[in-house]
Amino acid sequence: MANEILEEHIQSEYKWGFSTNIEADEAPKGLNEDIIRFISKKKNEPEWLLEYRLKAYRNWLNMVEPSWAHVTYKKPDFQDIIYYSAPKQKPEIKSLDEVDPELLKTFEKLGISLEEQKRLTGVQSNIAVDAVFDSISVKTTFRETLAEKGIIFCSFSEAVQEHPELIKKYMGMVVPHTDNFYAALNAAVFSDGSFCYIPKGVRCPMELSTYFRINASGTGQFERTLIVADEDSYVSYLEGCTAPQRDENQLHAAVVEIVAHKNAEVKYSTVQNWYPGDKDGKGGIYNFVTKRGICLEDNAKISWTQVETGSAVTWKYPSVILKGDNTVGEFYSVAVTNNHQQADTGTKMIHIGKNTRSTIISKGISAGVSNNSYRGLVQIRKGAANARNFSQCDSLLMGDTCGAHTFPYIEIKDKSAVVEHEATTSKIGEDQLFYCKQRGIDTEKAIGLIVNGYCKEVLNKLPMEFAVEAQKLLAISLEGSVG
Amino acid sequence: MIDTKTNITQTIIDSLSTSGNKVSFMPDASVLDAVRFLEEKGIPNAKHEEYKYCNLEAVFRRDFKSISNQFSSQLGVAGHKLAGCINLVLVNGTYHAELSDKAEGITVSTLHEADKAILAKHLSRYADVNADAFVAMNTAFCSSGLFIHIRGVAEKPIHILNVISANGISLVNPRQLIIAEKNAEATLIESFISEGDAPAVFHNHLTEIFVDENAKIKSYRLQQEGSKVTQVNTTEAIVKRYGNYTTNTFTFGGSLVRNNLHVVLADDHGEAHLNGLFVTGGSQLVDNHTLVDHQKPNCESNELYKGIAKDKSTGIFNGKIFVRKDAQKTNAYQSSKNILLSDDATINTKPQLEIYADDVKCSHGTSTGKVDENALFYLKARGIGDASARRLLLQAFAQELIEKVEVEVLQERILYLFEKAL
Repeated sequence: MANEILEEHIQSEYKWGFSTNIEADEAPKGLNEDIIRFISKKKNEPEWLLEYRLKAYRNWLNMVEPSWAHVTYKKPDFQDIIYYSAPKQKPEIKSLDEVDPELLKTFEKLGISLEEQKRLTGVQSNIAVDAVFDSISVKTTFRETLAEKGIIFCSFSEAVQEHPELIKKYMGMVVPHTDNFYAALNAAVFSDGSFCYIPKGVRCPMELSTYFRINASGTGQFERTLIVADEDSYVSYLEGCTAPQRDENQLHAAVVEIVAHKNAEVKYSTVQNWYPGDKDGKGGIYNFVTKRGICLEDNAKISWTQVETGSAVTWKYPSVILKGDNTVGEFYSVAVTNNHQQADTGTKMIHIGKNTRSTIISKGISAGVSNNSYRGLVQIRKGAANARNFSQCDSLLMGDTCGAHTFPYIEIKDKSAVVEHEATTSKIGEDQLFYCKQRGIDTEKAIGLIVNGYCKEVLNKLPMEFAVEAQKLLAISLEGSVG
Repeated sequence: MIDTKTNITQTIIDSLSTSGNKVSFMPDASVLDAVRFLEEKGIPNAKHEEYKYCNLEAVFRRDFKSISNQFSSQLGVAGHKLAGCINLVLVNGTYHAELSDKAEGITVSTLHEADKAILAKHLSRYADVNADAFVAMNTAFCSSGLFIHIRGVAEKPIHILNVISANGISLVNPRQLIIAEKNAEATLIESFISEGDAPAVFHNHLTEIFVDENAKIKSYRLQQEGSKVTQVNTTEAIVKRYGNYTTNTFTFGGSLVRNNLHVVLADDHGEAHLNGLFVTGGSQLVDNHTLVDHQKPNCESNELYKGIAKDKSTGIFNGKIFVRKDAQKTNAYQSSKNILLSDDATINTKPQLEIYADDVKCSHGTSTGKVDENALFYLKARGIGDASARRLLLQAFAQELIEKVEVEVLQERILYLFEKAL
């Protein structure tokens, strides 16, 4: 019984694997200073940004790809990647009708079309979508509504043109181009991304959302997101993605930076569902992302919530630097791996300010022959008086061929700190299953029920719209994993 | 992890391989592999994941000389012996029968004199020279060692008193092989002391323990070496079916102490209990590194480590529970609790789970904090002064571990040393 269900699931194709035919404006394969100049020129960037890219590139040349993560994969050939591709652009887009119909269809297939979103949430949708198709932002909705409040929400390239002072000030503040191998690569070749600025005292009235898509074959995607929340502001930011089916591995090395000023709060939610590769572990996305936020001044708060079900290899640690006093960092994560997927994910909480607090809740689920690791750092620096951390990392194993691992690092240099960490690893209880089955719930549904309950703490943190999608994803990812 | 061999390693190899004696008891293949490993990998520095918080390369920036055969004959070991135990005295790793008690009921000898067939079967079989630089160093350069063979039930606890006696910068590589036959039972106490005024001593201690079917070994490790001694203490224990290996490590002395404790539950229904307590002060560093390798089903492991860090000292706990694919029905628990008494002290913990079987119950917990303010208030409200109240709470914190010592004389000594360390 169990095997049949498992087989069925393994046979099932990636539901959202398809590719759209849009003429791409591509750079030649490979990476050198000329390519970087090409990208910069294409995007009509100011001189200082080109210099920044080149500096990052030169630095990257001297760096070594990290190998400490609990993952094994074929290292990407960085000369075999197209670093820039943009969909053929129309000069002016004022309404949805003018958007490339192919693109709209793509979004429809994904179930996240702009129209559907509008319909779902009434005529005046509450979700502003900055749709990223391949590497450049095609359409930004709701900008006008946001502009009234003084909120800037646009593509990174536009921000470079229109708000260079903000970009210059904040870019690389949290993730410097020297940070790590992939952050350096991103700084050198980033194509586009999102920029968001919430001015002083403004509570962003809607959830801001970006959908990342990887499309043109062999195109690496190097997104860069920068969110700045000025004093007393609040924003909830959503990011979600699905990718078409590909046989060759595609690299995704994004950088997300969040800066929270005094009393500001930023909530960042992700649902990640990139193509994980087929049942033999062929294909799939390499997801090597650097996400970090800084609570720059007192009473700021940054909260990361993520649901990770996709990608062949994931390497991602959304972190918070708690610099101001009384700042709060949170990390809620559900990571699901199936078949040959490998995930090494977790967080870093760096306590620098006084009375700083952080919470880490991580739920890992492994099935198939996958490996799922939690790796996290809690660091209490000297002088971070009364710092408090609570971490909980649970792992659920489905089947005896997968692995679940926990690698927490806890470094404490202040005697007033209170730090707790606990972790458990187990499988779904036979008695829980029996209880459900006895009441007429079949195995499949019972597992869905138990898994959803297991992840509830994290799913509850997601905004409504995302929670629904996330639950669906969990169910799909684990269909028939255990009988 | 380590990219280049350091010059330091080469110097050590050069100086030791020319001056050191040919080790007769160690298999040639192991020695060769060990030297090759050292040459390739060198001494781990902080870039090595397993030595991230414990930089031993820095210690080797001195010109160490192998001293296992030299020592001053005037030794004040008598006071360190334990009454009611079989006291075995090792000076710089060499077993001295004339200083030791008569071994009744057990076989004790140097590794040179040990039964060749048993050595061939066990020696260097469990400590993998290709896994760790200090295992390699010990295997390549140890020139003396102790062999203990336990059959049946040993009535008296066996106390191995390791004395380091040196007057120059010294390197000691003692080796021990302990075999507990089927159904054997014994209590083992290893204590570590140092004498002499050497500016620096590196004590690279390695023990291989084989716990056969249904055998039961209870061991205690008491580390109280002087402030110039760096000790790397590696224990590789193999536990067979229904075997039981319990170990309690108490660390109070030494400038840098690194304990590599690896227990392999190699057959079903094995049991391992790993406990430890340390108090660090000054600029001491104590690093407890444990690995419990669950290879077969129905095994159980328990781990409890506690630490108190004062002054500018550093306490580290790094524990890994490794559950292999076959090890279904594993029960593994790990806990590390620490108290920081100074803002200059550091506690680093890394409790890890690496699990490849699904029908398991594994959990770990770690906490680091200060003395509970509420408890402190409770005691003070009852007229107990601040200092005594804190002391009382720290004693209570350590009590759970000191209680586990079943040998009375040893428990008294540990209690005394604990109080002194506070």
